[in-house]
Amino acid sequence: MEEFLLKLQESDFGVWVSAAPTLLAYPTILMLHTVGLAMIVGPAWVLDVRLLGYGARLPVEALRGAFRIMWIGFFINASTGIALFISEADDKGMRWIFWVKLASIAIALVVTSRLRRAVFSGGVAPDVAPPRARSLAKASLVLWLVAITAGRLMAYVK
Amino acid sequence: MLLPFASWLHNTSISLALQQQVAWLWPFCETLHFAGLALLLGVAGMFDLRLMGFMKQVPISVVKEFMPWALVGFTLNLMTGVIFVVSQPAQYFGNPTWWLKVTFLIIAGANAFIFETAYGRRAAALPAGEDTPTALKIIAAVSLISWAGVLWAGRMLPFLGAGVGAGL
Repeated sequence: MEEFLLKLQESDFGVWVSAAPTLLAYPTILMLHTVGLAMIVGPAWVLDVRLLGYGARLPVEALRGAFRIMWIGFFINASTGIALFISEADDKGMRWIFWVKLASIAIALVVTSRLRRAVFSGGVAPDVAPPRARSLAKASLVLWLVAITAGRLMAYVK
Repeated sequence: MLLPFASWLHNTSISLALQQQVAWLWPFCETLHFAGLALLLGVAGMFDLRLMGFMKQVPISVVKEFMPWALVGFTLNLMTGVIFVVSQPAQYFGNPTWWLKVTFLIIAGANAFIFETAYGRRAAALPAGEDTPTALKIIAAVSLISWAGVLWAGRMLPFLGAGVGAGL
């Protein structure tokens, strides 16, 4: 495993990402990872607080488009995340905090897809969220916060 | 002018206290800064999209009910941002990219002020389903672009211009 991670990190692509003397490599990839974060977590949290009853005059149906933005954000962050991972595979791959981040994202994705099914699958979305959707919304709020926290702490936890 | 101010700030008791803070303060504030960013851009972005003509069936005033959450995000980021600057003033004042970030922030703020004072009522009175006037679309575009600029410059801080004021 270690050997494989080291190979990844020392691959041409890995070295380009981490060491190319251009702002388009590591800095821009990292910046796009933050753009993607905002595109995923921003709409997710708006949907979550609405389902928990905030801003009840807003029809939940109007937030159906949020998933498209979240998907684009997820696509950006999966790609930039893979690139960032390759460039630091050996440094970060074996750290527990990285696995906390991945696990929280994986669970958040499951929660989000269940939330979508619970609220948006049958015609017009109901304006009062069923209890199940409320629980999923609470889980989503917390899981994305955990993902952000673990992601940030990757720079600190050895 | 900046150098004396940065070194004065650096030696104030509050800055010294922050510099000697427990190791978790900086990562903790950074985490809040990223969470605040998501909250601010998520909510303000939704409002901007509405001004641009998305979600037309919903009155602008209804979408605006979410703006307190954007303010929560902004306040979090302002507070944590002040903590960063007060604890390492030279690192920020000496970096042109930080001034670019501040410039984008001022543009975003002025734009929001113009919206509130000149167009707020008109926007609130706009019936659902009706196309938004060009002025509102421009305001929304300026908002999205300037917040993207804030994010871009913020994320580029360690990489672009960080060496410029190293001696400051």
